[in-house]
Amino acid sequence: MASVSMPRLEEIPDKELLALHAAGDPHAFSTLVQRHRDRMWAVALRTLGDPEEAADALQDACLSAFRAAARFRGDAAVTTWLHRIVVNACLDRIRRKSVRPATPMGDDATFDAVAPKLPDPSDAHGVSLDVQDALAAIPFEQRAALVLVDMMGYSVEDAARVLEVPAGTIKSRCARGRARLAPLLRHHRNRKEARNVGGVEGGGVPT
Amino acid sequence: MTHPAHLDYDVLADLAEGLLDEARAASVNEHLDSCAPCRDLSADLADVSRLLAEAPAPSLPPDLAARIDSALAAESRGDAPVVSLAERRGRRPWRILSAAAAAVVVLGGGGLVAQTVLEGGDDTSSTTAQQPLADPTRPSDAPLAVQVWRPTSSGTAYRAATLAGQVRDRLAQAATSAQAPPADERLTGCVNRVTGGRPPALVDRATLDGGAALIIAVRAQSRLDVWAVDPACSADDPKILQHTG
Repeated sequence: MASVSMPRLEEIPDKELLALHAAGDPHAFSTLVQRHRDRMWAVALRTLGDPEEAADALQDACLSAFRAAARFRGDAAVTTWLHRIVVNACLDRIRRKSVRPATPMGDDATFDAVAPKLPDPSDAHGVSLDVQDALAAIPFEQRAALVLVDMMGYSVEDAARVLEVPAGTIKSRCARGRARLAPLLRHHRNRKEARNVGGVEGGGVPT
Repeated sequence: MTHPAHLDYDVLADLAEGLLDEARAASVNEHLDSCAPCRDLSADLADVSRLLAEAPAPSLPPDLAARIDSALAAESRGDAPVVSLAERRGRRPWRILSAAAAAVVVLGGGGLVAQTVLEGGDDTSSTTAQQPLADPTRPSDAPLAVQVWRPTSSGTAYRAATLAGQVRDRLAQAATSAQAPPADERLTGCVNRVTGGRPPALVDRATLDGGAALIIAVRAQSRLDVWAVDPACSADDPKILQHTG
């Protein structure tokens, strides 16, 4: 028998992998997932905060995408479609857990928890934990927008496609979210000039 | 007081995103020009974006990667009663094992046992059967666009007496095992000869009763055909050591 050349799935573009999957190829979809799962995981973990919930959401998303692949419309990037499914899976998780707050701590508790870390603002691990805690304190829609735009580096337009809302809505959610995060994260600021913080503690001055 | 109306984070965030109308943006900018505390708040906002961007990306835990591979492999096998999202609510670590185990048991030839596995203390198991292949756009017998199987080198110590069971265990974990380089011409010829041209579910370089062997498995409906062949197997001489199925 003549040799069968082995196609290297790793080199096949996303859309063709999806088409192969829809045609019954048993390995195409897992190749696609392996290609993008690191970023999908980052989106899920940052959006949900809780690793266990995020793991469930990522798995839900992978299985949903597996089943929905035949309905993928080729006019969007596959990554956009995958991230949309991840975000929706996260939202689904949050709705199921609606009796439980997204964060185990309220805003005040978050603030108290991050404040003692002041002595070492350059500690990357500490900053990362604080960022996660602070993100957990803002509404889901703002968090999802900021995760995509500020953390994952999506353009506003791409984030709008992922979340299926107008670009202006993304901008607004990002602005609201940053405004809420600013007082929670300002102790990590590392600017050299003297701070002039008199009267502005707590996130703003009465207008 | 020269600044009767200090700015807050919301207005400054809107300004940064270009969400303020022209007149408001002009007055806000004018205020910023003369108010250091508000410029400081504005810098806080810029730092928020910087801190978010600099947060190190979390790495995917290896066990989660393996778990998703297993779930997708079970789904990919199609004939497994994959537990639906709704049914999996509230279940924790073992549920993926359930799906994988169910897939294996079904392949072994019995849905009853699979049902038992899936029950696992869940009173909704009567509705667990899903139809991953019911989608008419994905007939299970559709011709494959390309032949895609790759050998694995699990190093598993198979025993002749328990070969079929061990193969089923391997299939449950196949997606998580280290993949060997693609099959070369001789191995492809060997596998095609042994399976009669059917795509193998498993081609695993391992040992059988202590001796080097290549384990090849093919699914046929609910049956599992398993061969152990000598590593020198070729299209001309398959050197079959054992065949169960």
